[in-house]
Amino acid sequence: MNFIYQLQHTAAMDWFRESGSLVGYPLVLFLHTLGLGAVAGLSGALDLRVLGVAPRIPMTSLTRFFPVIWGAFGLSAVSGLILLIAEAEAKLSSPVFWFKMTFLALALVNMQVLRTRVFADPHVDSKPIGSQAKMLAVTSLLLWVAVTTAGRLMAYLEKGPIG
Amino acid sequence: MNVPHLHLILNHVPTIGTAIALGLLLLALFRRNEQLTRVTLELFCVIALLTLPAYLSGVGTGLALEKMEGISKEAIARHHDGALQSFILMVLTGGAAWLGVWRYRRVGSLSTANIVVVLVLALLTMGGLIPTATLGGEIRHPEMLAVGETAPTAPPAWLQASSVQRFVLDHTWVWPSLETLHFIGLWLLFGVIALVNLRLMGMMKAAPFSAFHRLLPWAALGLGINLFTGMFWVIATPEQYMTNISFGWKMGLLLLAGADLLYLTTFDGPWNVKEGDEAPAFGKALAVSAIALWVGVMYFGRMLPFIGNAF
Repeated sequence: MNFIYQLQHTAAMDWFRESGSLVGYPLVLFLHTLGLGAVAGLSGALDLRVLGVAPRIPMTSLTRFFPVIWGAFGLSAVSGLILLIAEAEAKLSSPVFWFKMTFLALALVNMQVLRTRVFADPHVDSKPIGSQAKMLAVTSLLLWVAVTTAGRLMAYLEKGPIG
Repeated sequence: MNVPHLHLILNHVPTIGTAIALGLLLLALFRRNEQLTRVTLELFCVIALLTLPAYLSGVGTGLALEKMEGISKEAIARHHDGALQSFILMVLTGGAAWLGVWRYRRVGSLSTANIVVVLVLALLTMGGLIPTATLGGEIRHPEMLAVGETAPTAPPAWLQASSVQRFVLDHTWVWPSLETLHFIGLWLLFGVIALVNLRLMGMMKAAPFSAFHRLLPWAALGLGINLFTGMFWVIATPEQYMTNISFGWKMGLLLLAGADLLYLTTFDGPWNVKEGDEAPAFGKALAVSAIALWVGVMYFGRMLPFIGNAF
């Protein structure tokens, strides 16, 4: 942990946080938002398919979205890590941050379970979607709502240098 | 051209637009012309979309006008209240019309219940717009008033912008809750938009576009959530949006993105993309720009505190 606190106080991070440059904090914050839109959004759209919203989209054709989601998650993770380092002391001591990380881990595990148990089944399109799969889609949506809520509340329930 | 100038142009769209669309809808029903009915529903969607800048430019104009001598703040406030309730009714009308248009694509016929709902909502909107327009005129045109009459002449609206403002500013939990909902709406909207447009760009060609069309109401729901939550902020702290260049860009891109959503919902181009088909080049270009437009909306939304002055 000491290492990350040292990083927070490097000149690069001071610039990132305080320069007011649009390619500093604002750009990374935007990329983090874009990552949220793509990861939670695409995952949520797949959940809607599992719940029966657009039954004529073959589930097998949607499997190729998982790498896209993971790619977008890479963007979220890298931008998130930079945002974390910039305000390490405030974030790491905030319970809301750890709630967010817990929900995030559960949401990603949930997504992988849906991928391997439901989407990867070659016969998935020739039989009705089971209640277990639907339950996983519901928990997935709820977990993304939880991740978003915790992420948003981090800006209000802790005192960082930038709102 | 500045914001008041824009308002003086756009304020005619909801009033005259709704009157024309209502007339067309009645004519279409009288002549039993399904095609004309459908076009009228699309027209309601477009008018509702353009009512957003009409309303917002009005908020900006009010802020500029308040500072001038000899202008009744009460007249401005009363006009704003009327505009707010008309705007809400207009969005509901447009939303109902959009559902009708979407359903027409899917089942190939219009629903009587839907048309009745649109008709009733449009009449209510018109009923709200008439006093709103009068109140707006009275702000700067004392010659409209009878001798001894003072503006505003219409009774107070059932919803007051000032009480919405107090609701947001007086409770600390409101702003963060709106933010949370706004971000959930963001990913719901963006996820569906991305999936649908990626099909047009050539992914998942095994399924026809019509299969993806089913998802569009969820994008509309996301947009609805974000319009609803965003309105609270504009009403609560108008200054930080009305003098904010990011907000101008965000709204401009939003209108284009909204027009694209209507295109995806109702036009033949995307609908005719069958199983295994590539979308035509024009459709692909629109799909790429749709995703770019929504990314732009997000960008300028996120930049409100950085390029502009919002918090």
